[in-house]
Amino acid sequence: MLKRIMSKDSQMRAAINQKLIEMGERERLKELLRAKLVECGWKDQLKAHCKDVIREKGLEHVTVEDLVTEVTPKGRALVPDSVKKELLQRIRAFLAQHATL
Amino acid sequence: MKMEDMPLSGPDNTRLEALAHDIYSELVEDACLGLCFEVHRAVKQGYFFLDETDQESMKEFEIVDQPGVDIFGQVYNQWKNKECECPNCKRLIAASRFAPHLEKCLGMGRNSSRIANRRLASSNNMSKSESDQEDNDDLNDNDWSYGAEKKTKKRKSDKSQNSPRRSKSLKHKNGEIGSGVGAESYKYNYNTGISYETLGPDEVRSLLTTQCGVISEHTKKMCTRPTLPDADAVETDSFDIPDAQPLMSRLQWEDSDISPTDSASSKASTNHSDSRKPKKKKKPSLPLNSGGGGSGSGSLAGGGGSSSQSNISISTKKKRPKLSAPPISSIYDDLN
Repeated sequence: MLKRIMSKDSQMRAAINQKLIEMGERERLKELLRAKLVECGWKDQLKAHCKDVIREKGLEHVTVEDLVTEVTPKGRALVPDSVKKELLQRIRAFLAQHATL
Repeated sequence: MKMEDMPLSGPDNTRLEALAHDIYSELVEDACLGLCFEVHRAVKQGYFFLDETDQESMKEFEIVDQPGVDIFGQVYNQWKNKECECPNCKRLIAASRFAPHLEKCLGMGRNSSRIANRRLASSNNMSKSESDQEDNDDLNDNDWSYGAEKKTKKRKSDKSQNSPRRSKSLKHKNGEIGSGVGAESYKYNYNTGISYETLGPDEVRSLLTTQCGVISEHTKKMCTRPTLPDADAVETDSFDIPDAQPLMSRLQWEDSDISPTDSASSKASTNHSDSRKPKKKKKPSLPLNSGGGGSGSGSLAGGGGSSSQSNISISTKKKRPKLSAPPISSIYDDLN
């Protein structure tokens, strides 16, 4: 029975994700998030952190994986609460409208 | 807490919340990845550290964060309280008012000639001495003063009479009579103390046949509104242009600015009139390039609506006595 619930859940998720993409809402949310992050200075902060990482690893030898593993956790933590709240609000609104339960 | 005790929407809600959070996390991760790729590309292409290469200039242009100073380190209202001595009138003027004051004081700005003319005109009328320059400067500097506001009503009529544009267009005409009338109309407007008794009968006749001639009680100025279009249309016959009909029909549309682009005297009005040109012009170049037409176009192009009308009336008026009857009747025939 758990499996069935799980698969129902994942089905719903897949359906919702598909709807998000098809309606262009995902793109809009992405752009909104990017704009807000630049505005609040998150991008500059993270870029400064990247500089440190690069200086540490050496300019010539830094790889994408290095950057990703170093930068992503910090990036996730640095997102300001207001931005997070606003995005969640928009997502919930979308779900409330389009999630068939 | 058992699942059954929760309200029916409970599990759905939590599921939805979880889903929302997941979607959010994906979006944030997308943003982070995007940044990583950007940075990595910049590193590999060699432009990531470009803004940090020059240590000296970096220190020089560092952001300043002190009170009373902007981020460049400059004091922004440094000159607010300073005063400058005007080279002309030797007064001490506040820095922010210095440029407008100089404009008026030296008589070189756009408005200063207009104001000077207006002063001249009204000094004949009103006995109060407005020739005191200092007072006028203050009046004119402060756009909201009562004196300045009182004058604004007359400004429009003044402008059409006094603007250099109008006098230039008058000069463009072939006949010197045209400019003569223009000068005369200036005179009539200014010498408002002169009443009709002082003018000779010929002058009065020529004046009243072209213009309205009513003298206002308030301003003691003579109205220069041109006489009715029908009268003007008759006069247009006097134009010795090969093809007068389009020009005349155009003239009858009083409110249109018929100024063609060849008229050098009015550049501003051509913008206005060009927009209407495609609608009304039939033969744009023919009548206008000929000699008489050139002068006609020069007069037509003089300024905006009212002044163009008065120009038309003046120019046509002055040609009438010169020419003979046959052209007039021929053009009437064309009309019919």
